[in-house]
Amino acid sequence: MAIPLLEIKHLTHSYPDGNSGIFDISFSVSKQDFIILAGQNGSGKTTLIRHLNGLLRPSKGEIRLHGKNILKDLTLTRKTIGMVFQDADTQIVGDTVFDEVAFGPENLNLERSLINRKVTQILDQLDLIGLKDRNPATLSGGEKRKLAIAGILAMDPEIIIFDEPFANLDYPGTQSLLTLIFDLNKRGQTIIMATHDVETLLNCASRLLIMADGQLVEDGSIAGLLGKLESHGIKEPCTCKITASPPPWRS
Amino acid sequence: MAILNPFMFRPGSSSLHCLDTRCKFFLVCMMSLAILNASFPACFICLVILFFFLKQIRLPMGHTVKHLRYFILLLVFIILARGMAIPGESLFAFHGVTISAQGLYQGALVALRFFLVMVTGLLFSATTRSASLKNAAQWYLKPIPFVPEKRVAVMISLALGFLPLILQQAEETRNAIHSRCGNLEKNPVKRFTRLTLPLLKKTFLSADHLILAMEARCYGEDRTDPEFEPSGREAIFIIAGLGFWLCSLFLESCI
Repeated sequence: MAIPLLEIKHLTHSYPDGNSGIFDISFSVSKQDFIILAGQNGSGKTTLIRHLNGLLRPSKGEIRLHGKNILKDLTLTRKTIGMVFQDADTQIVGDTVFDEVAFGPENLNLERSLINRKVTQILDQLDLIGLKDRNPATLSGGEKRKLAIAGILAMDPEIIIFDEPFANLDYPGTQSLLTLIFDLNKRGQTIIMATHDVETLLNCASRLLIMADGQLVEDGSIAGLLGKLESHGIKEPCTCKITASPPPWRS
Repeated sequence: MAILNPFMFRPGSSSLHCLDTRCKFFLVCMMSLAILNASFPACFICLVILFFFLKQIRLPMGHTVKHLRYFILLLVFIILARGMAIPGESLFAFHGVTISAQGLYQGALVALRFFLVMVTGLLFSATTRSASLKNAAQWYLKPIPFVPEKRVAVMISLALGFLPLILQQAEETRNAIHSRCGNLEKNPVKRFTRLTLPLLKKTFLSADHLILAMEARCYGEDRTDPEFEPSGREAIFIIAGLGFWLCSLFLESCI
Protein backbone atom coordinates (compact mmCIF):
# COMPACT_ATOMS: atom_id res chain seq x y z
CA MET A 1 0.00 0.00 0.00
CA ALA A 2 1.38 3.46 -0.98
CA ILE A 3 2.35 5.79 1.85
CA PRO A 4 0.11 8.89 1.89
CA LEU A 5 1.81 12.24 1.43
CA LEU A 6 0.57 13.46 4.79
CA GLU A 7 -1.01 11.43 7.53
CA ILE A 8 -2.58 12.86 10.66
CA LYS A 9 -3.11 10.29 13.39
CA HIS A 10 -5.21 10.90 16.51
CA LEU A 11 -4.00 14.48 16.79
CA THR A 12 -4.98 16.17 20.05
CA HIS A 13 -3.95 19.56 21.34
CA SER A 14 -5.06 21.30 24.49
CA TYR A 15 -3.95 24.82 25.34
CA PRO A 16 -2.39 25.35 28.79
CA ASP A 17 -5.02 27.98 29.69
CA GLY A 18 -7.76 25.40 29.21
CA ASN A 19 -9.00 26.90 25.96
CA SER A 20 -10.49 24.46 23.50
CA GLY A 21 -7.98 22.82 21.19
CA ILE A 22 -8.47 19.88 18.85
CA PHE A 23 -9.34 16.33 19.78
CA ASP A 24 -8.45 13.01 18.16
CA ILE A 25 -8.21 14.16 14.56
CA SER A 26 -7.20 11.62 11.93
CA PHE A 27 -7.13 11.93 8.14
CA SER A 28 -4.66 11.57 5.31
CA VAL A 29 -3.75 13.73 2.35
CA SER A 30 -2.66 12.45 -1.07
CA LYS A 31 -0.65 14.22 -3.73
CA GLN A 32 -2.56 16.91 -5.65
CA ASP A 33 -5.52 16.83 -3.27
CA PHE A 34 -7.44 20.08 -2.94
CA ILE A 35 -8.99 19.99 0.49
CA ILE A 36 -11.32 22.49 2.11
CA LEU A 37 -11.13 22.55 5.87
CA ALA A 38 -14.37 24.21 6.86
CA GLY A 39 -15.79 25.12 10.23
CA GLN A 40 -17.18 27.92 12.32
CA ASN A 41 -14.89 30.45 13.98
CA GLY A 42 -13.20 28.76 16.93
CA SER A 43 -13.78 25.25 15.59
CA GLY A 44 -10.03 24.49 15.65
CA LYS A 45 -9.08 25.01 11.97
CA THR A 46 -6.15 27.33 12.69
CA THR A 47 -4.89 25.13 15.54
CA LEU A 48 -4.96 22.12 13.22
CA ILE A 49 -3.13 23.77 10.35
CA ARG A 50 -0.48 25.17 12.68
CA HIS A 51 0.27 21.58 13.69
CA LEU A 52 0.69 20.59 10.03
CA ASN A 53 3.54 23.10 9.70
CA GLY A 54 5.12 22.10 13.03
CA LEU A 55 4.33 25.45 14.67
CA LEU A 56 2.46 23.71 17.48
CA ARG A 57 3.35 20.43 19.23
CA PRO A 58 0.51 17.96 19.76
CA SER A 59 -0.47 16.78 23.23
CA LYS A 60 -1.24 13.39 21.71
CA GLY A 61 -0.99 11.79 18.27
CA GLU A 62 1.38 12.53 15.42
CA ILE A 63 1.65 13.83 11.88
CA ARG A 64 3.62 11.89 9.29
CA LEU A 65 5.01 13.37 6.12
CA HIS A 66 6.09 10.72 3.60
CA GLY A 67 5.82 8.24 6.48
CA LYS A 68 8.11 10.16 8.86
CA ASN A 69 7.10 12.14 11.94
CA ILE A 70 7.23 15.83 10.99
CA LEU A 71 8.81 16.82 14.30
CA LYS A 72 11.95 14.79 13.49
CA ASP A 73 13.08 17.33 10.89
CA LEU A 74 11.22 20.61 11.25
CA THR A 75 13.22 22.40 8.54
CA LEU A 76 12.28 19.73 5.99
CA THR A 77 8.67 19.86 7.23
CA ARG A 78 8.43 23.63 6.82
CA LYS A 79 10.13 23.50 3.46
CA THR A 80 7.71 20.79 2.24
CA ILE A 81 4.57 22.20 3.84
CA GLY A 82 4.23 25.91 3.17
CA MET A 83 1.77 28.00 5.09
CA VAL A 84 0.05 31.18 3.98
CA PHE A 85 -1.28 33.03 7.03
CA GLN A 86 -4.65 34.74 7.27
CA ASP A 87 -3.12 38.19 7.69
CA ALA A 88 -0.59 38.68 4.89
CA ASP A 89 0.75 41.80 6.63
CA THR A 90 2.16 39.83 9.53
CA GLN A 91 3.70 37.25 7.20
CA ILE A 92 5.62 39.81 5.14
CA VAL A 93 9.06 40.53 6.60
CA GLY A 94 11.03 41.81 3.59
CA ASP A 95 11.67 45.46 2.77
CA THR A 96 10.97 44.92 -0.92
CA VAL A 97 8.88 42.41 -2.86
CA PHE A 98 12.09 40.72 -4.06
CA ASP A 99 13.52 40.47 -0.50
CA GLU A 100 10.25 39.05 0.77
CA VAL A 101 10.25 36.19 -1.73
CA ALA A 102 13.97 35.58 -1.10
CA PHE A 103 13.42 35.30 2.68
CA GLY A 104 12.50 31.56 2.63
CA PRO A 105 15.30 30.40 0.29
CA GLU A 106 17.80 32.48 2.34
CA ASN A 107 16.66 30.63 5.46
CA LEU A 108 17.35 27.36 3.63
CA ASN A 109 20.92 28.61 3.10
CA LEU A 110 20.77 28.29 -0.69
CA GLU A 111 23.42 29.81 -2.97
CA ARG A 112 22.84 33.51 -3.70
CA SER A 113 22.75 32.97 -7.47
CA LEU A 114 20.18 30.17 -7.08
CA ILE A 115 18.06 32.37 -4.79
CA ASN A 116 18.10 35.24 -7.31
CA ARG A 117 17.13 32.89 -10.15
CA LYS A 118 14.35 31.24 -8.17
CA VAL A 119 12.89 34.53 -6.93
CA THR A 120 12.87 36.06 -10.41
CA GLN A 121 11.17 32.96 -11.79
CA ILE A 122 8.46 32.95 -9.10
CA LEU A 123 7.81 36.69 -9.43
CA ASP A 124 7.52 36.25 -13.17
CA GLN A 125 5.15 33.30 -12.76
CA LEU A 126 2.89 35.26 -10.42
CA ASP A 127 2.97 38.50 -12.47
CA LEU A 128 4.73 40.35 -9.65
CA ILE A 129 7.99 41.02 -11.46
CA GLY A 130 7.01 44.64 -12.16
CA LEU A 131 6.63 45.22 -8.41
CA LYS A 132 9.92 43.63 -7.34
CA ASP A 133 11.42 46.86 -5.94
CA ARG A 134 8.24 48.06 -4.23
CA ASN A 135 7.87 48.16 -0.46
CA PRO A 136 5.28 45.44 0.35
CA ALA A 137 3.43 47.87 2.64
CA THR A 138 2.35 49.82 -0.44
CA LEU A 139 0.74 46.83 -2.20
CA SER A 140 -3.00 46.19 -2.38
CA GLY A 141 -4.59 43.40 -0.31
CA GLY A 142 -4.70 41.04 -3.31
CA GLU A 143 -1.08 41.75 -4.25
CA LYS A 144 0.03 41.16 -0.65
CA ARG A 145 -1.76 37.81 -0.62
CA LYS A 146 -0.07 36.91 -3.93
CA LEU A 147 3.26 37.96 -2.47
CA ALA A 148 2.73 35.76 0.57
CA ILE A 149 2.10 32.83 -1.79
CA ALA A 150 5.20 33.71 -3.83
CA GLY A 151 7.25 33.65 -0.62
CA ILE A 152 6.04 30.10 0.03
CA LEU A 153 6.42 28.89 -3.58
CA ALA A 154 10.08 29.97 -3.56
CA MET A 155 10.71 27.21 -1.03
CA ASP A 156 9.37 24.53 -3.45
CA PRO A 157 6.71 23.10 -1.13
CA GLU A 158 4.70 19.97 -1.96
CA ILE A 159 1.75 21.11 0.14
CA ILE A 160 0.47 24.64 0.60
CA ILE A 161 -1.83 25.43 3.49
CA PHE A 162 -3.97 28.55 3.33
CA ASP A 163 -5.64 30.05 6.40
CA GLU A 164 -8.72 32.01 5.29
CA PRO A 165 -7.05 33.29 2.10
CA PHE A 166 -10.08 35.27 0.88
CA ALA A 167 -10.63 37.21 4.11
CA ASN A 168 -10.80 40.98 3.42
CA LEU A 169 -10.39 40.53 -0.34
CA ASP A 170 -12.69 42.15 -2.89
CA TYR A 171 -14.32 40.19 -5.74
CA PRO A 172 -11.57 40.71 -8.38
CA GLY A 173 -8.91 39.96 -5.76
CA THR A 174 -10.70 36.75 -4.78
CA GLN A 175 -11.11 35.72 -8.42
CA SER A 176 -7.47 36.32 -9.23
CA LEU A 177 -6.24 34.51 -6.12
CA LEU A 178 -8.55 31.58 -6.69
CA THR A 179 -7.38 31.24 -10.31
CA LEU A 180 -3.77 31.19 -9.09
CA ILE A 181 -4.47 28.56 -6.42
CA PHE A 182 -6.43 26.42 -8.88
CA ASP A 183 -3.54 26.58 -11.39
CA LEU A 184 -1.05 25.60 -8.69
CA ASN A 185 -3.19 22.58 -7.87
CA LYS A 186 -3.42 21.63 -11.57
CA ARG A 187 0.39 21.78 -11.76
CA GLY A 188 0.70 19.25 -8.95
CA GLN A 189 0.61 21.22 -5.67
CA THR A 190 -1.44 19.80 -2.85
CA ILE A 191 -3.70 22.43 -1.36
CA ILE A 192 -5.32 22.53 2.07
CA MET A 193 -7.49 25.54 2.67
CA ALA A 194 -9.06 26.53 5.98
CA THR A 195 -12.16 28.61 5.38
CA HIS A 196 -15.73 29.11 6.44
CA ASP A 197 -16.68 30.27 2.96
CA VAL A 198 -17.25 27.07 0.99
CA GLU A 199 -19.11 28.67 -1.91
CA THR A 200 -15.99 30.25 -3.39
CA LEU A 201 -14.25 26.90 -3.70
CA LEU A 202 -17.06 24.66 -4.89
CA ASN A 203 -15.61 24.05 -8.34
CA CYS A 204 -11.98 23.69 -7.29
CA ALA A 205 -11.82 21.44 -4.27
CA SER A 206 -11.88 17.66 -4.36
CA ARG A 207 -12.60 17.00 -0.72
CA LEU A 208 -14.29 18.67 2.23
CA LEU A 209 -13.39 18.27 5.89
CA ILE A 210 -15.71 19.82 8.44
CA MET A 211 -14.59 20.70 11.94
CA ALA A 212 -16.78 21.52 14.91
CA ASP A 213 -15.77 22.02 18.55
CA GLY A 214 -12.21 20.88 17.84
CA GLN A 215 -13.25 17.62 16.23
CA LEU A 216 -13.30 16.42 12.65
CA VAL A 217 -16.98 15.68 12.19
CA GLU A 218 -17.19 15.09 8.43
CA ASP A 219 -14.75 13.96 5.73
CA GLY A 220 -15.96 13.35 2.20
CA SER A 221 -16.69 14.68 -1.25
CA ILE A 222 -18.06 18.19 -1.65
CA ALA A 223 -21.23 17.01 -3.33
CA GLY A 224 -21.92 14.52 -0.59
CA LEU A 225 -21.47 16.98 2.26
CA LEU A 226 -23.11 20.13 0.90
CA GLY A 227 -26.41 19.30 2.54
CA LYS A 228 -24.77 18.90 5.95
CA LEU A 229 -22.96 22.24 6.00
CA GLU A 230 -25.62 24.25 7.78
CA SER A 231 -26.02 21.69 10.53
CA HIS A 232 -22.40 22.50 11.45
CA GLY A 233 -22.87 26.26 11.35
CA ILE A 234 -21.39 26.77 7.86
CA LYS A 235 -23.43 28.61 5.29
CA GLU A 236 -24.62 26.38 2.48
CA PRO A 237 -23.75 28.01 -0.87
CA CYS A 238 -26.88 29.77 -2.09
CA THR A 239 -25.98 28.79 -5.66
CA CYS A 240 -26.58 25.16 -4.62
CA LYS A 241 -30.02 26.08 -3.40
CA ILE A 242 -30.87 27.83 -6.67
CA THR A 243 -29.15 25.75 -9.35
CA ALA A 244 -27.96 22.19 -9.69
CA SER A 245 -24.49 23.19 -10.92
CA PRO A 246 -23.02 26.29 -9.29
CA PRO A 247 -21.17 28.74 -11.56
CA PRO A 248 -17.40 28.95 -10.93
CA TRP A 249 -15.81 31.93 -9.09
CA ARG A 250 -12.62 31.58 -11.09
CA SER A 251 -12.07 34.16 -13.79
CA MET B 1 -2.84 50.48 0.53
CA ALA B 2 -0.69 51.85 3.36
CA ILE B 3 1.19 55.16 3.21
CA LEU B 4 4.83 54.65 4.12
CA ASN B 5 5.92 56.50 7.19
CA PRO B 6 9.17 58.45 6.69
CA PHE B 7 11.26 55.95 8.67
CA MET B 8 10.28 52.99 6.48
CA PHE B 9 12.63 51.80 3.77
CA ARG B 10 11.83 53.35 0.38
CA PRO B 11 13.35 51.55 -2.58
CA GLY B 12 15.26 53.84 -4.92
CA SER B 13 18.45 54.41 -6.85
CA SER B 14 19.84 57.53 -5.15
CA SER B 15 23.50 57.70 -4.15
CA LEU B 16 22.52 56.90 -0.55
CA HIS B 17 20.51 53.86 -1.65
CA CYS B 18 23.48 52.57 -3.64
CA LEU B 19 26.05 53.19 -0.91
CA ASP B 20 27.45 50.12 0.85
CA THR B 21 25.58 49.70 4.16
CA ARG B 22 28.85 49.31 6.12
CA CYS B 23 29.93 52.71 4.83
CA LYS B 24 26.52 54.25 5.64
CA PHE B 25 26.68 52.77 9.14
CA PHE B 26 30.12 54.28 9.69
CA LEU B 27 29.04 57.65 8.29
CA VAL B 28 25.93 57.81 10.49
CA CYS B 29 28.00 57.14 13.60
CA MET B 30 30.66 59.67 12.56
CA MET B 31 28.16 62.38 11.56
CA SER B 32 26.14 61.93 14.76
CA LEU B 33 29.27 62.38 16.89
CA ALA B 34 30.35 65.38 14.83
CA ILE B 35 26.89 66.97 15.06
CA LEU B 36 26.73 66.59 18.85
CA ASN B 37 29.68 68.99 19.21
CA ALA B 38 29.00 71.18 16.17
CA SER B 39 28.63 74.96 16.34
CA PHE B 40 25.84 76.89 14.56
CA PRO B 41 27.71 77.41 11.24
CA ALA B 42 28.68 73.70 11.10
CA CYS B 43 25.09 72.74 11.90
CA PHE B 44 23.82 74.90 9.02
CA ILE B 45 26.32 73.31 6.60
CA CYS B 46 25.14 69.89 7.78
CA LEU B 47 21.48 70.96 7.41
CA VAL B 48 22.08 71.96 3.78
CA ILE B 49 23.82 68.65 3.03
CA LEU B 50 21.08 66.59 4.69
CA PHE B 51 18.36 68.61 2.95
CA PHE B 52 20.04 67.86 -0.38
CA PHE B 53 19.93 64.12 0.38
CA LEU B 54 16.31 64.37 1.57
CA LYS B 55 15.42 65.89 -1.81
CA GLN B 56 17.46 63.25 -3.59
CA ILE B 57 15.66 60.30 -1.98
CA ARG B 58 12.34 62.05 -2.74
CA LEU B 59 10.93 61.91 0.74
CA PRO B 60 7.65 63.88 0.72
CA MET B 61 8.46 66.89 2.94
CA GLY B 62 4.92 67.76 4.05
CA HIS B 63 4.20 64.18 5.02
CA THR B 64 7.53 63.93 6.88
CA VAL B 65 6.96 67.15 8.82
CA LYS B 66 3.47 65.92 9.73
CA HIS B 67 4.95 62.70 11.12
CA LEU B 68 7.59 64.60 13.04
CA ARG B 69 5.22 67.20 14.52
CA TYR B 70 5.51 65.90 18.09
CA PHE B 71 9.28 65.75 17.78
CA ILE B 72 9.31 69.34 16.51
CA LEU B 73 7.09 70.34 19.45
CA LEU B 74 9.61 68.72 21.77
CA LEU B 75 12.37 70.78 20.15
CA VAL B 76 10.35 73.98 20.66
CA PHE B 77 9.89 72.98 24.30
CA ILE B 78 13.68 72.45 24.63
CA ILE B 79 14.35 75.92 23.19
CA LEU B 80 11.86 77.57 25.57
CA ALA B 81 13.08 75.59 28.58
CA ARG B 82 16.68 76.55 27.87
CA GLY B 83 15.62 80.14 27.30
CA MET B 84 14.04 80.24 30.76
CA ALA B 85 16.72 78.25 32.56
CA ILE B 86 19.90 79.97 31.32
CA PRO B 87 20.51 83.45 32.75
CA GLY B 88 21.50 86.30 30.44
CA GLU B 89 20.22 89.35 28.62
CA SER B 90 16.45 89.40 29.04
CA LEU B 91 14.43 89.28 25.83
CA PHE B 92 10.99 88.76 27.31
CA ALA B 93 9.60 88.87 30.82
CA PHE B 94 6.11 87.94 31.97
CA HIS B 95 4.97 87.39 35.60
CA GLY B 96 8.53 86.69 36.76
CA VAL B 97 9.34 84.32 33.89
CA THR B 98 12.29 85.61 31.88
CA ILE B 99 13.55 84.32 28.56
CA SER B 100 17.18 85.18 27.93
CA ALA B 101 18.91 85.66 24.55
CA GLN B 102 21.77 83.40 25.63
CA GLY B 103 19.30 80.73 26.70
CA LEU B 104 17.43 80.89 23.41
CA TYR B 105 20.72 80.65 21.52
CA GLN B 106 21.82 77.62 23.53
CA GLY B 107 18.39 76.01 23.22
CA ALA B 108 18.25 76.56 19.46
CA LEU B 109 21.70 74.99 19.12
CA VAL B 110 20.75 71.91 21.14
CA ALA B 111 17.44 71.59 19.27
CA LEU B 112 19.16 71.93 15.89
CA ARG B 113 21.70 69.25 16.85
CA PHE B 114 18.90 66.88 17.91
CA PHE B 115 17.06 67.63 14.70
CA LEU B 116 20.13 66.93 12.56
CA VAL B 117 20.85 63.63 14.33
CA MET B 118 17.23 62.63 13.79
CA VAL B 119 17.35 63.53 10.06
CA THR B 120 20.61 61.59 9.70
CA GLY B 121 18.89 58.54 11.21
CA LEU B 122 15.85 59.10 9.01
CA LEU B 123 18.01 59.17 5.86
CA PHE B 124 19.71 56.00 7.00
CA SER B 125 16.52 54.06 7.76
CA ALA B 126 14.72 55.27 4.61
CA THR B 127 17.56 54.12 2.33
CA THR B 128 18.71 50.93 4.05
CA ARG B 129 17.05 47.54 3.83
CA SER B 130 16.83 45.78 7.21
CA ALA B 131 18.58 42.73 5.69
CA SER B 132 21.57 44.87 4.66
CA LEU B 133 21.60 46.54 8.06
CA LYS B 134 21.71 43.15 9.75
CA ASN B 135 24.56 42.15 7.47
CA ALA B 136 26.54 45.31 8.22
CA ALA B 137 26.03 44.99 11.99
CA GLN B 138 27.18 41.38 11.76
CA TRP B 139 30.28 42.47 9.81
CA TYR B 140 31.23 45.07 12.43
CA LEU B 141 30.60 42.73 15.37
CA LYS B 142 32.44 39.72 13.94
CA PRO B 143 35.95 40.68 15.14
CA ILE B 144 34.72 41.29 18.72
CA PRO B 145 35.30 38.16 20.81
CA PHE B 146 32.48 36.57 22.85
CA VAL B 147 29.80 38.54 20.99
CA PRO B 148 27.24 36.33 19.18
CA GLU B 149 27.30 38.62 16.15
CA LYS B 150 24.56 36.85 14.18
CA ARG B 151 22.14 36.94 17.10
CA VAL B 152 22.86 40.58 17.93
CA ALA B 153 22.54 41.57 14.26
CA VAL B 154 19.18 39.79 14.00
CA MET B 155 17.97 41.60 17.12
CA ILE B 156 19.04 44.98 15.73
CA SER B 157 17.40 44.40 12.37
CA LEU B 158 14.18 43.09 13.97
CA ALA B 159 14.00 46.04 16.37
CA LEU B 160 14.54 48.54 13.56
CA GLY B 161 12.19 46.65 11.26
CA PHE B 162 9.52 46.63 13.95
CA LEU B 163 9.74 50.35 14.75
CA PRO B 164 7.88 51.56 11.61
CA LEU B 165 5.24 48.89 12.24
CA ILE B 166 4.69 50.22 15.77
CA LEU B 167 4.40 53.78 14.41
CA GLN B 168 1.87 52.59 11.83
CA GLN B 169 -0.13 50.79 14.49
CA ALA B 170 -0.02 53.86 16.73
CA GLU B 171 -1.50 55.89 13.85
CA GLU B 172 -4.24 53.28 13.30
CA THR B 173 -5.07 53.15 17.01
CA ARG B 174 -5.18 56.96 17.18
CA ASN B 175 -7.52 57.06 14.18
CA ALA B 176 -9.76 54.42 15.79
CA ILE B 177 -9.91 56.49 18.99
CA HIS B 178 -10.61 59.73 17.09
CA SER B 179 -13.35 58.07 15.03
CA ARG B 180 -15.21 57.55 18.31
CA CYS B 181 -14.59 61.13 19.48
CA GLY B 182 -11.78 60.06 21.83
CA ASN B 183 -10.01 63.32 20.97
CA LEU B 184 -12.61 65.18 23.05
CA GLU B 185 -11.14 63.67 26.22
CA LYS B 186 -9.34 66.46 28.07
CA ASN B 187 -7.57 64.36 30.73
CA PRO B 188 -4.04 63.72 29.32
CA VAL B 189 -3.51 60.60 31.49
CA LYS B 190 -6.71 59.04 30.16
CA ARG B 191 -5.77 60.02 26.60
CA PHE B 192 -2.35 58.47 27.06
CA THR B 193 -3.62 55.18 28.50
CA ARG B 194 -6.35 54.92 25.88
CA LEU B 195 -3.69 55.04 23.19
CA THR B 196 -0.88 53.06 24.79
CA LEU B 197 -2.74 50.07 26.22
CA PRO B 198 -4.34 48.94 22.93
CA LEU B 199 -1.11 49.80 21.12
CA LEU B 200 0.96 47.61 23.44
CA LYS B 201 -1.52 44.76 23.08
CA LYS B 202 -1.48 45.11 19.30
CA THR B 203 2.31 45.29 19.21
CA PHE B 204 2.75 42.12 21.25
CA LEU B 205 0.19 40.29 19.10
CA SER B 206 1.93 41.42 15.89
CA ALA B 207 5.26 40.30 17.33
CA ASP B 208 3.75 36.87 18.07
CA HIS B 209 2.38 36.61 14.52
CA LEU B 210 5.67 37.74 13.03
CA ILE B 211 7.58 35.10 14.98
CA LEU B 212 5.17 32.39 13.81
CA ALA B 213 5.45 33.54 10.18
CA MET B 214 9.24 33.59 10.36
CA GLU B 215 9.36 30.19 12.06
CA ALA B 216 7.03 28.77 9.41
CA ARG B 217 9.62 29.75 6.80
CA CYS B 218 12.54 28.07 8.60
CA TYR B 219 14.05 31.27 10.00
CA GLY B 220 17.30 30.71 11.88
CA GLU B 221 20.71 32.24 12.44
CA ASP B 222 22.41 30.15 9.78
CA ARG B 223 21.03 31.65 6.59
CA THR B 224 22.26 33.09 3.32
CA ASP B 225 23.27 36.68 3.99
CA PRO B 226 22.70 39.39 1.41
CA GLU B 227 25.86 40.32 -0.45
CA PHE B 228 27.49 43.71 0.02
CA GLU B 229 27.23 45.74 -3.15
CA PRO B 230 29.69 48.66 -3.00
CA SER B 231 28.81 51.44 -5.43
CA GLY B 232 32.42 52.65 -5.80
CA ARG B 233 31.59 56.02 -4.19
CA GLU B 234 32.24 54.88 -0.62
CA ALA B 235 35.69 56.47 -0.42
CA ILE B 236 34.30 59.83 -1.61
CA PHE B 237 31.58 59.74 1.03
CA ILE B 238 33.99 58.81 3.82
CA ILE B 239 36.43 61.58 2.81
CA ALA B 240 33.55 64.06 2.66
CA GLY B 241 32.34 62.89 6.11
CA LEU B 242 35.81 63.29 7.59
CA GLY B 243 36.04 66.66 5.89
CA PHE B 244 32.81 67.76 7.57
CA TRP B 245 34.07 66.58 10.95
CA LEU B 246 37.35 68.49 10.60
CA CYS B 247 35.46 71.54 9.32
CA SER B 248 33.10 71.43 12.32
CA LEU B 249 36.08 71.14 14.70
CA PHE B 250 37.76 74.11 12.97
CA LEU B 251 34.59 76.25 13.12
CA GLU B 252 34.15 75.38 16.77
CA SER B 253 37.72 76.45 17.57
CA CYS B 254 37.15 79.74 15.72
CA ILE B 255 34.11 80.64 17.85
